[in-house]
Amino acid sequence: MSEMKDMIIEVVERIFKEKVEKETVDLLEANQWAEDVWQLILENEIHQVAVKEENGGAGGDYEDLFHLYRLVGKYAVPIPFVEHTLANLILEFININPHTELSTVHLAAKPLELTAGKVSGSLDHVPWARYAQKLVTLATEKGTQSLIVVDLKEAHIENHTNLAAEPRDSLQFTDGKILASHPLTEEQHEFLTKLQTAATVSKMAGAIDRAYELSVQFSKEREQFGRPIHRFQLVQQHLAVLAGEQAISAAALENSIALLQKGEAGDEIAFARLKLDDASRIVATSAHQVHAAIGVTHEHRLHHYTRRLWAWRDEDFHEKYWKKQLAKNWLNSSNTIWDVLTKKKQVEHI
Amino acid sequence: MNLPTVQFTKEQELFREEVRTFLQQELQKGTFQTKCDSWLSGSDPAFSRIIAEQGWIGMTWPKEYGGAERSSIDRYILTEEFLAIGAPVAAHWFADRQTGPLLLRFGTDYQKNFFLPKIVKGECFFAIGLSEPNSGSDLASVKTKAEKVEGGWIVNGAKTWTSNAQDAHYMVTLVRTEPVTEKKHQGLSQLIINLKSEGVTITPIRYLTGEHHFNDVFFDNVFVPDEMVVGTLGNGWAQGLAELAYERSGPERILSTFPLLNEAMEELKRQQDIEGLAQISKLVAELWSLRNLSIGVAKVLEEGGEVGVSAALVKSVGTKFEQKIPEIVRLLLDVYPQLHADRAVDRYLAESTLHAPGFTIRGGTSEVLYGIIAKGVLAG
Ligand SMILES: Cc1cc2nc3c(=O)[nH]c(=O)nc-3n(C[C@H](O)[C@H](O)[C@H](O)COP(=O)(O)OP(=O)(O)OC[C@H]3O[C@@H](n4cnc5c(N)ncnc54)[C@H](O)[C@@H]3O)c2cc1C
Repeated sequence: MSEMKDMIIEVVERIFKEKVEKETVDLLEANQWAEDVWQLILENEIHQVAVKEENGGAGGDYEDLFHLYRLVGKYAVPIPFVEHTLANLILEFININPHTELSTVHLAAKPLELTAGKVSGSLDHVPWARYAQKLVTLATEKGTQSLIVVDLKEAHIENHTNLAAEPRDSLQFTDGKILASHPLTEEQHEFLTKLQTAATVSKMAGAIDRAYELSVQFSKEREQFGRPIHRFQLVQQHLAVLAGEQAISAAALENSIALLQKGEAGDEIAFARLKLDDASRIVATSAHQVHAAIGVTHEHRLHHYTRRLWAWRDEDFHEKYWKKQLAKNWLNSSNTIWDVLTKKKQVEHI
Repeated sequence: MNLPTVQFTKEQELFREEVRTFLQQELQKGTFQTKCDSWLSGSDPAFSRIIAEQGWIGMTWPKEYGGAERSSIDRYILTEEFLAIGAPVAAHWFADRQTGPLLLRFGTDYQKNFFLPKIVKGECFFAIGLSEPNSGSDLASVKTKAEKVEGGWIVNGAKTWTSNAQDAHYMVTLVRTEPVTEKKHQGLSQLIINLKSEGVTITPIRYLTGEHHFNDVFFDNVFVPDEMVVGTLGNGWAQGLAELAYERSGPERILSTFPLLNEAMEELKRQQDIEGLAQISKLVAELWSLRNLSIGVAKVLEEGGEVGVSAALVKSVGTKFEQKIPEIVRLLLDVYPQLHADRAVDRYLAESTLHAPGFTIRGGTSEVLYGIIAKGVLAG
């Protein structure tokens, strides 16, 4: 574990707590975002946490970064922190210097077409593209898959949003100039899908943390029949279910990160993603039930978390993708599922 | 709630290999039959003695009592390998899981010296005597009573649902040693009762399958010597609570139907059913997630942390998961559940379906656990 982690988490959580009010999150719906929070992130060099020291960063690790993603989810922070830092993490992975300009990344889509250094094609649901200057994405040329960097000035951009009003834009490229490209092996591609998935899992775990906390708090404050509603057994059952899903999601995230950090992340990233899909549904359902009518108003902040959960679960490498992937991994494997769960193949005899 | 993550060491991975290889070999030799829910319904004293010969009963206990002073993570690995393959470990399960730790924590030197080495050798099995006909969830209302006499106690009353009393030698029995007051949790004590004593009658209660797993245990003026009182007289409730953490968070709360899941996946692979594998991957993901939680609790327990709420969490979510496996598998494969079927998947499905209702009842009902979790959540 990186020693910086606790300190950075504390600093960032303080910033988010102070600066990200309900109204700040609401900005997205007015086609704005929290530029002042982003400035604070830049000033404190939080976006450099996982960037290598030789590239001017703090040299932190996945663990630091993914815990920050969890906070972004927990406070529904309307800034492209995950996208920018993930883009840079991926660039470093293929030995390209990280960007200082605002960047975004989109991997879970049909790759663009690359011909003699020019890209064409379209991409949907690209996060934060309208605000970003550079995009890291995939392109194919004669069957070879590459990671490419393009300037977003090369794209025609149409604004769209996801269920939570986060920017998810459509891009059209016609012979766009690329800034860099790097062929990806099958293994590298797989690793990048896992990084992207772990990032999404982190955000989801954070939103679950918050929906759970809001529900517990509300159950203590709201009174009916002359007593706080947490005194009713069936309300308690919702709280118990929420606590269970929160604890399981947190453990799934922590274990995924630990495995990524050790370079041993196999099917587990997919497991975490599949579990968080269920947890999102259960948490959103129970949290709304506990809050009743007030929770479905725009006035209340619960929807910032539940809408994100509903949006994020269908984004990037989602449940359907991973179920298929796991089935493919297992179809002709001689390992039983117990071998997979206990990572049998990695045991070397000493 | 954030629980620690556990990374197994190389030695631990090798230990897992050792256990797995041993169990595979014994299975091939025909030493035992695999089954679902083997930790409660698979009592085989002869097999337990084979396990004891490996040094695998009481493996975390001090060497002076015959233990190996291994870590509780080692024990976790061992027990989950038993459950994964479906080995019949019920005979020694309670003694290894909770009686040993109870005695190590609260027992007298005499009790430790007398019982622990016997448990380690697989010669002494324990039953858990808590529930009574009129005291289930409301356990503090137990009526079985012990009255002081010269040199010991005279016990009268009855316990019920006592798993495996038919194979056990002793039972840790929650009894009232003082009259009930306003504070009903006080005045309860834990007595170790020799089940071969005069006045003890054990009669089978047949499980809905007709099988014999649990019992009624009656006490008619049973004499229990003073040295068989565990810990402090009147402190039985608090001592019992300490046991519950071990009882509720272990791998047996997520893996009771695992052999079915494993076999179902092998069957789907044989049939090259990629759609079926994709469907079942959700169960695997859920199991992975629950296992993280359960191992996390084991780690906190080992470090002496408080796990009452998280153990209740593992049990309530884990047992629901155990119940879900047969319900999903039956829709993914052509199956016909039968307890004596030739095909393993049919047999496991039968065992899982028929034993499932008990999962969310034994060791504390889910409703009661929800109450504990909610209380913990609201206090936190
Ligand atoms: C397979 C199996 C093995 C067992 N083995 C043992 C054993 O070895 N030793 C032993 O001592 N016991 C054993 N038991 C008994 C077990 O501990 C009890 O069944 C359990 O504690 C519940 O008690 P009860 O069955 O009397 O149900 P009750 O307590 O009568 O409950 C009936 C219903 O009411 C609900 N309920 C009760 N109180 C509350 C509350 N406060 N809030 C909300 N709902 C509530 C319960 O959840 C349940 O749905 C075993 C049980 C089973 C099924």
